Amino acid sequence: MIPITRVGATLDELLAQRGVSRRSFLKFCTAMASMMALPPSAVPAFAQALAGARRPSVIWLSFQECTGCAESLMRSDATTLEQLIFNLVSLDYLDLLQAASGTAAEDARARAMAESYGKYLLLVDGSVSTADGGVYSTAGGKSNHDVLMDAAKGAAAVIAVGTCAAFGGIPKAAPNPTGAVGVSELIKDKPVINISGCPPVPVVLTGVLAQYLAFGRIPDLDALGRPKAFFGDTIHDRCYRRPFYDEGKFAKTFDDEGARNGWCLYELGCKGPTTYNSCATLKWNAGTSFPIQSGHGCLGCSEPDFWDAGSFYNPIPVGAWGSAATVAAAGAAGAALGAGAALLARRHQVEVEKKS
Amino acid sequence: MTLLSFARGIALEVATMVFVLGIAWRLVGILLLRARRDHSAARRHDAWKGLMMTATRSWPKKEFIGASGFVEAISYTWHLALFATILLYAPHVVLLQNVVEAFLPFPVVGRILFYWPTLPAGMIFFLASLSSGLLLIAFAHRLINPVKRLISNFDDYLSWLLTLAPLITGMAAYMHVGGPYQTVLAVHILSVEALMIWFPFGKLMHLFTMFAVRGVTGVLFVRKGAAT
Amino acid sequence: MTASASAGEIAAFVDEPGDTRDGERVERAMSAFVKDFGMLAAVYLETCVHCGMCADACHFYEVTKEAKYTPILKVEPFKQAYKREYGPFAPVYRLLNLTPKVTFDELERWQELLYESCNVCGRCSLVCPMGIDIAGLIAEARHGMAAAGLVPEELLPRTDADRSVGIDFAAALGELAATHKIEIPLDKPQADIVCMLFLVDLQKYPKSVVAIARIMNHLRLSWTFSSRALAADNLDFVSGQRDAERRVNRKLVDATIAVGAQSLILPECGHAYEAMRWEAANDYGKTLPFKILHISEFLAEQVQAGALVLRAVGKSATFHDPCQVSRRGGAIDAPRVVLAALGLDVKEMSPTKGTNWCCGGGGGVAAIARADDLRHKVFRLKMAQIEDTGAELAVTSCSGCRRTFDDGQAHFHWDQTMGSLVELVADNLAAVPA
Repeated sequence: MIPITRVGATLDELLAQRGVSRRSFLKFCTAMASMMALPPSAVPAFAQALAGARRPSVIWLSFQECTGCAESLMRSDATTLEQLIFNLVSLDYLDLLQAASGTAAEDARARAMAESYGKYLLLVDGSVSTADGGVYSTAGGKSNHDVLMDAAKGAAAVIAVGTCAAFGGIPKAAPNPTGAVGVSELIKDKPVINISGCPPVPVVLTGVLAQYLAFGRIPDLDALGRPKAFFGDTIHDRCYRRPFYDEGKFAKTFDDEGARNGWCLYELGCKGPTTYNSCATLKWNAGTSFPIQSGHGCLGCSEPDFWDAGSFYNPIPVGAWGSAATVAAAGAAGAALGAGAALLARRHQVEVEKKS
Repeated sequence: MTLLSFARGIALEVATMVFVLGIAWRLVGILLLRARRDHSAARRHDAWKGLMMTATRSWPKKEFIGASGFVEAISYTWHLALFATILLYAPHVVLLQNVVEAFLPFPVVGRILFYWPTLPAGMIFFLASLSSGLLLIAFAHRLINPVKRLISNFDDYLSWLLTLAPLITGMAAYMHVGGPYQTVLAVHILSVEALMIWFPFGKLMHLFTMFAVRGVTGVLFVRKGAAT
Repeated sequence: MTASASAGEIAAFVDEPGDTRDGERVERAMSAFVKDFGMLAAVYLETCVHCGMCADACHFYEVTKEAKYTPILKVEPFKQAYKREYGPFAPVYRLLNLTPKVTFDELERWQELLYESCNVCGRCSLVCPMGIDIAGLIAEARHGMAAAGLVPEELLPRTDADRSVGIDFAAALGELAATHKIEIPLDKPQADIVCMLFLVDLQKYPKSVVAIARIMNHLRLSWTFSSRALAADNLDFVSGQRDAERRVNRKLVDATIAVGAQSLILPECGHAYEAMRWEAANDYGKTLPFKILHISEFLAEQVQAGALVLRAVGKSATFHDPCQVSRRGGAIDAPRVVLAALGLDVKEMSPTKGTNWCCGGGGGVAAIARADDLRHKVFRLKMAQIEDTGAELAVTSCSGCRRTFDDGQAHFHWDQTMGSLVELVADNLAAVPA
């Protein structure tokens, strides 16, 4: 881990220090700009802005999480420049990686927050427990909820990393005993960027940070607060197996002929059509593969309530049925009503006949 | 709960219950009415030929084609295109299999009953647009033609709307227009549920009764040797 | 739709003017409709999808293009009443008042649609894609109208003479027998065959009465007319007076049984065929102990058995199918067997047989004066049809149709006269080879 340099240094100062060539930097900017759907003409401005960006303080809080999001972002096979970008920010608190612990760590955090009050970026992974005053997830005697609300006060913006922080994720799955919620349900007065995914694609965070640093503003967000540049299309729309869907060629079981021919996994529960993310284009592990390419349907992990949306192996059209009994009861009730109506009608007929 | 999980969950269950209850009510309520026995001597004992009217009445006699052929052709085409859209599109077939699996003790029945080849999505889209277009033309005819205008009522208009809505919303979902995909898909599913809820109470029930009616009339007419 | 007539005129049309309150009359209409009502009528009323194709099959719509003549519209008040009183959702309809109660005013307005512009010909039933027997529903609706006293005056028997009581048949037939020098048996105590005739034919087409006798005698069959079962007329069937119709049917059945006949032969008639052949057994309550044949069916049977041989008439002919006998009744091919036996070059009109156009006079329409203009418009269809065949002769097997054609011929100064199949046969009897 490269040691933390002083707050306030610009990126080009840092890069010069590291011996990274201007050419490499520009290559990075071009790649980053195209991923965020910026036109080629914007690259020079982007590069200039990024070069002159000052290192903001970043506080990273971890709540009810499995650490998968942080692990995803910390992969040692991430490119050097991405690591550098993480050094561009002054990562003043990340309990996963910091050497300090206990009160020393908390004091360091409080100091960083005070020094950069109003300007630091707050990154959050994991959901926040709210039931029973939030007692189900605490650190240092303080509930996650209280820590979050306190830390958000001085934040310039909040980035919810991973589906748990964005939407509540797995802790929120029924019956949600801890009252887990996403960050945006608690923070209403600061901009919240949701980078969902379980875990999120690493370069999505990089891209969002780069944009924030270069342009000083948060990227365009969709209705769920996710950056449109990375969450604007569904997996389905970018999936390389889409032609098979359109042709109607589906794998019916894992390892049948269709599966082995790489056909569409729709009937095996792929949630690609209803899932917005960049897995189909950016893929995972430096572009190695993504679930569909490896033969398993998309779980929809970047969407809210993906765990409760029915089985991963039920195709999208499938209903979340209660039980057959209710429907059978409805049928019986209908038949009874019909029989009653017919009986009344026949009785009336008999009366009419008797009268005449 | 998102709109989509609502549409696929409780809304679907309620719609199915109303659908089943309403159909049972209406059919039983009719079938238990008094049936008249006919003591007259039959000219012909050929129930099979009478039942054939179930199918033969689908094709108009050439004497009548001139007058009503246009209307009948449009009607058949949009009906067939609609049924093809519903039954030959893979996601719909998956749903039908699932419905059967949910309600029958042996899940494999669903796979067997609803196992047929499906059409590519593009063709389905074409059929859906064909059906929608013709439905619009049929509606225009209903408004303009004096006979239809005189005999049409609320039932006709609502049934038309609830039949068209799933087609339009389905096409919108397929094309990803009209909003986020999950929302448009949810609206499509809700529109089908609205159709299911209205189905037993309006003229759409002709789906269940018309073949029986044709068959009974056919049997009664053939019995007399009357023209069918 | 305009109201059919002023209050004073309406009073003349009904049995009990002013005595019975309108609401009660609607009640009686609905009760009468309901009495015969059953599952079949119910499912018919439930299945209409308002496609309007029945209008395209109806000659009244064809010649006027007025939407009010749409056949299924004729039963609209009864459909509303069914939904409100007898349908599966009837309690809901009443609770939420989804359809208002049928009013007497509505039934009055429907009188024109059910009587003056409908022959119950059944073309609509042929075209309906749902398979609804619309004509059958109309016949049932007439039961209701009759109970409400809404039958057109002309269809109500005014005197007992209309119900054939008190007519001196012996004298009438005796006179015919003398004039035409032919034996016409009446009231033989026992015979294999009972024949019937039309009362009107005694005056208008006496030749057809004689023709029946000539044919039956020629065939040397054991037959008789029976004074208790002489008139096949059943005006009550046409008007919808179900109880009276039932009484007439029973009377005819009983008389035929009393003679010990095995067959009852109906004359050239239309609605009487429907009433006797298809309804009488149900009025009797069980299968009849004798066969019922329309005379054209009887003649065809005799031809096919080789018993009836006819002289060849070297002319071309076209056949007008009487709706109740042909399309509704099923005796479609029988007349053509006879025409072929007569050596006629049959040129079918278009459309023909089961889909032929109605003459426009049946179902009581020819009797209703107010319907004359409309009926004449329809008659143009028939004239065009017959002229298009280029046939020399026009033949039918229904006295009602014949009267309609005669009236049309006079009105339009047409040069074609509609002939009778029975008369044609009687005029061309040949000796059977020994």
